[in-house]
Amino acid sequence: MTINIAGRNSSKYLQNRILQDPSFGIFVLLVLAIIVMTFLEPSFATGRNVTNVINAMMTVSFLAIGMTVVLIAGGLDLSVGSTMAVTAGVAGKFIIYGMPMSVAFLCALTIGVGIGCINGLLITKLGIPDFIATLAMLGIGQGVILLWTQGVPILGYMSGAYYYIGGLNKIAGPISIPMIVVVVISVVMTIILKRSKFGLQLYAVGSSPISARNAGVNVDAIKISAYAISGLLAAIAGIHIAGRTTTIPPLIGNGYEISAIAAAVIGGASLLGGKGRMIGALIGALTLTLTRNIINLVGIKSSWQAILTGSVLIGAVLANRASSEFSRKRFRRGKT
Amino acid sequence: MKNQSKFSKMIAIDGVVILAAFVLMVIFFSLKADSFLIPDSIRYYINEAVPIFIIIVGLTFVIIAGGIDLSIGAVLGLSAGTSLTVSMWGWPFWMAVIVGVLTGLAFGLLNAVFTTIFKINDFIVTLGTLNIAAGALTVLTDQIQLTGTKDTSFKRISGMNFLGLTSSIWIALIIVVVFELVLLKSPFGRRIFATGIGQVPALISGINTQRSKFGAYLISGGLAGLGGVLLASHLNSVQSGLAGGYELTAIAGAVLGGVSLAGGRGSVWRAIVGALFLTTLNQGLLLMGVDPLIFQIVTGLCILVGVVIDRAVYKFALTFSTQTRESNSQFLRGKRFSL
Repeated sequence: MTINIAGRNSSKYLQNRILQDPSFGIFVLLVLAIIVMTFLEPSFATGRNVTNVINAMMTVSFLAIGMTVVLIAGGLDLSVGSTMAVTAGVAGKFIIYGMPMSVAFLCALTIGVGIGCINGLLITKLGIPDFIATLAMLGIGQGVILLWTQGVPILGYMSGAYYYIGGLNKIAGPISIPMIVVVVISVVMTIILKRSKFGLQLYAVGSSPISARNAGVNVDAIKISAYAISGLLAAIAGIHIAGRTTTIPPLIGNGYEISAIAAAVIGGASLLGGKGRMIGALIGALTLTLTRNIINLVGIKSSWQAILTGSVLIGAVLANRASSEFSRKRFRRGKT
Repeated sequence: MKNQSKFSKMIAIDGVVILAAFVLMVIFFSLKADSFLIPDSIRYYINEAVPIFIIIVGLTFVIIAGGIDLSIGAVLGLSAGTSLTVSMWGWPFWMAVIVGVLTGLAFGLLNAVFTTIFKINDFIVTLGTLNIAAGALTVLTDQIQLTGTKDTSFKRISGMNFLGLTSSIWIALIIVVVFELVLLKSPFGRRIFATGIGQVPALISGINTQRSKFGAYLISGGLAGLGGVLLASHLNSVQSGLAGGYELTAIAGAVLGGVSLAGGRGSVWRAIVGALFLTTLNQGLLLMGVDPLIFQIVTGLCILVGVVIDRAVYKFALTFSTQTRESNSQFLRGKRFSL
């Protein structure tokens, strides 16, 4: 690491700050991978490939932002993939039924928030463990979309405007609507998390629910709203992916929950709660998408993708653990 | 002695709920669907569900030790793939069995190492290995068409008949009995319970909690491997995505049977009754002409209802032991947050 040294103390502080950053380990790997790929593969650093990668990471970014909010509140949402499939189905089917696009989208968003609220209520009011409640919701959501479509992909809902929403048609140069939406949502969420009372309460609930309750925070309400935010973002992802893929197979959401969790965890969110940032979620989504892109460019068969996603998940947790361990040891050595 | 009776009372209550529900459901379906109580049809669907019965045994060990294993379904599918592959290469059937079980054990070892030595969250590790195993099966089926082996002795692993039941049902029965005895009677089983009840008290009483958790994950992986061998021998063909949602059914069965996800409570036979409940429900709905796609919704609802009933029953049982009530409820509350 080369850092401009202003003074001994401040450089130490900066070094520690960077090393202790929860996504430092994965960030180094990411930069290394980009440098190596730029030299090895001429088609990697082209403008077209870069826009490809950014477009492909949008869906996971939405889900990862929602997942990060839930993880900060000390929960875990396994149902995001199937919520995304259900809301994509709602958007597509309702347009086919002849509703205007805005009404269909509003229904999809409402259903997403509704599923999130049900998750939150099951967890807080009935005391069901987070991952069991959302695992059950995953099964229910998948069953609903399969039953509704009878296993047949939904077709014929695409219109001119939907190509823009899916990011297939760009509005200016390489910039598409999903990119703007992701940036706006992450900026807004960052402000909410860092500057608002709700954000502070979210971190408090995740760090220690009992002390948060003692401090007068309504723990249940905060947790339910975290799940509602996750459901809302899953619905946005559903509307987006319906436009990107132009058909909705009923199993469209399969495996997205692990991508979302992996992205959030890579970005420094902890399953123990109380940690996580929006920029981390985006870095995580970028890591996953880039891995996939590199696999394709190098010429590894696409059937290896699941293996790599699983390995990246475990590897990222290990890398982040190792980097924080390392910096803690360094810190301790510096003190004594 | 007094304590003993309270303890048995609690067990009785736990088992009675799911048993009563099971009996009621059987009566309901036998009235509604004519072909429900025919022995052949019962034998058929139980035979189909044998892999689930086998993985649920290992899952019970892991859950009681305070962990969770989401990878069992995918590992089962992968072991089915590897054992069928080597059998198609012309290896003898016992080598196929060994390869299948070793595949499962390898993934069990992976889970165990990451959860106990590197101390990564159980849930993240097994979610990762789920993807790795499912992906490995996709890669395997991409390379080889696993359409069937000519080795008849491999097919006979699951297909032989003893006293009117297939050998896979017998194998499942033996596994259930043996592992129930291990869980309830052996020192290892005691340590598993102690680990799940609380890491700190277990450590204070000199139990190596990481070692017992390690063992639980190994058992879970090995049994998933064996289940895969039986499934491959039964189906004699393996495609990518085989046994995909089995972990959901197994967790639902265990939860319905009163295996507490907080760890430290449960038994193998109750988990089996839970799985039997789910498979029977599936079969009954099928015979009544309900769309089979609804089954996933039913499984999801069963998990939710199962957990709620389990908590209610546990609270009710706690009122029997008033002495420990206060501390127990505090413990429960702590667990709820830590999960």
